[in-house]
Amino acid sequence: MILRIAGRETASYFRSSIGWVAISLYLLLSGFWIAFATIRPGEPATLRAFFGVSQWILLIIAPAISMRLIADEKRTGTFESLVTAPLSDWQIVVGKYLGAVAFFAAMLVPTLAYVGLLEAVADPDYGPILAGYVGLLLVGMLYLSVGLLTSALTENQIVSLLATVFFFVLLELLATTGGRWLGPPFDEALFSVSVFLRIADLAKGIIDTAHVAVFVAASAWFVVLTVVVVESRRWR
Amino acid sequence: MISLRQVKKRFGRIDAVRGVSVDIPRGQVVGILGPNGAGKSTTVRMIAAAIPPTSGSVHVAGLDAVGRSLEVRRKMGYMPESAPLYREMRVRDLLRYRAGLYGLTGRERAEAVRRAAGQCQLEAVMHRRCGELSKGYRQRTGLASVLLHNPEVLILDEPTSGLDPAQIAETRSLIKELAGRRTMLIVSHILPEVQKSCDRIVLFAGGRVRADGSPDELIRQLSGTEQYAVEAKGPRRAEEVLGALAGVRACESTALADGWQRCVITFAQGMPDQREMIARAAGGAGLLVRELAARTTTLEEVYLRLLAGDAAPEAEPEGASP
Repeated sequence: MILRIAGRETASYFRSSIGWVAISLYLLLSGFWIAFATIRPGEPATLRAFFGVSQWILLIIAPAISMRLIADEKRTGTFESLVTAPLSDWQIVVGKYLGAVAFFAAMLVPTLAYVGLLEAVADPDYGPILAGYVGLLLVGMLYLSVGLLTSALTENQIVSLLATVFFFVLLELLATTGGRWLGPPFDEALFSVSVFLRIADLAKGIIDTAHVAVFVAASAWFVVLTVVVVESRRWR
Repeated sequence: MISLRQVKKRFGRIDAVRGVSVDIPRGQVVGILGPNGAGKSTTVRMIAAAIPPTSGSVHVAGLDAVGRSLEVRRKMGYMPESAPLYREMRVRDLLRYRAGLYGLTGRERAEAVRRAAGQCQLEAVMHRRCGELSKGYRQRTGLASVLLHNPEVLILDEPTSGLDPAQIAETRSLIKELAGRRTMLIVSHILPEVQKSCDRIVLFAGGRVRADGSPDELIRQLSGTEQYAVEAKGPRRAEEVLGALAGVRACESTALADGWQRCVITFAQGMPDQREMIARAAGGAGLLVRELAARTTTLEEVYLRLLAGDAAPEAEPEGASP
């Protein structure tokens, strides 16, 4: 049942303009970055700049993908059909989340052309590239899980998008600026909640299981919170 | 088939449903009628196991709609108001998807889609996107999507909302065809809608059941009086003769231009047919009668009177079943 919901969700992105706009925008912006910052004489044969800029671009793109997940269903009334079908709230939420993650992963596939391009002009090390893609997928999963939660909290997609972006910008400011300002012994704890610092490590080619565990656990936590929000209609 | 016992639903500080008790036997087509905000949609959402009651119990086919909500939903086809559909999906894909959610796969699913599309005459639009459909076809697609698993209970919330008169007539005839042996609840605030399609009407107002019965029963129970119109002339004034009959509450007379008198005689509720007695009395007094008719109260009059508080709704036991 979860896969059925996920499948419809992924397909719906490809059937609607939002999916194609998200893919086009991501490829356009990241393509510019590749053209002007990576494929240049004397530059190292890595995609570190691409992975670095992607986390910023995805901070807008991923919430744009997730904003419709539940908010739009509530606005159009289709959510009522889902909650009166023989499905648990878990199945609905997890199915929707996996559908968005699958679309996100599909959106990354065309960027493999950048790897081919790098291969054509230089001799890249595939370890950091693989780690970078793992990092992008993890950060995407985290962005989407928070977007899923905000989408469950409102019927307005724009509110969901802005709330998700605001959450991560605020988190990053608190973690990095707050960490530098307060200094030891608080800085380490604050730096640990920075998404960007963790992604920077992965972009260097370091697949630290602690980073992976944090991203997976945080994403799971926001999915669970979304289930609680959806279930709350029963006891409100 | 459906049993509600002292069901209450509170949203924050608002009491949406305030102690509803109703029993609906298998196969009955019931109209849930009431003005906007009367608590009718909230009640059917509780029956559909979409939300639990704050207190009281809801049972469908003997199953508790809270404790065994997934089983209840399997027996239920619920079409929310305005039949929401995924606009980007083609009708065929939508029906396949919905059938899948009810656990239908393979040949069983293909057969269910073919049958539901046939019942709702969707064959011509199966390849079209839901967002491109006319309102009538959208409604039909919504109906087909809740018929796929051949539910025992069908709940249609405002099934003709927003349709033009021709589409309303089409949808109405489709509903009649679908009723069959199914238990069906039709939620509406449009009286002719439920009057034409339903065996029984449960009238909601202020979160309570204010009246319950067949359209005829409701008229009888709630009109409060029986009225007869008589046009007569003769040696005595008609209102003197007819006003003196046993059980008459009032007799209003109007002189017509052609010399005849028109009397409207009001009897207390529950009196047997008085036309024969009126005719005998008029004949005995030497009155010539050219018209004698029982004046029928329409359900619309009763409905409006009840909502305005003119009738005596509190006299009706709350949530009474016929």
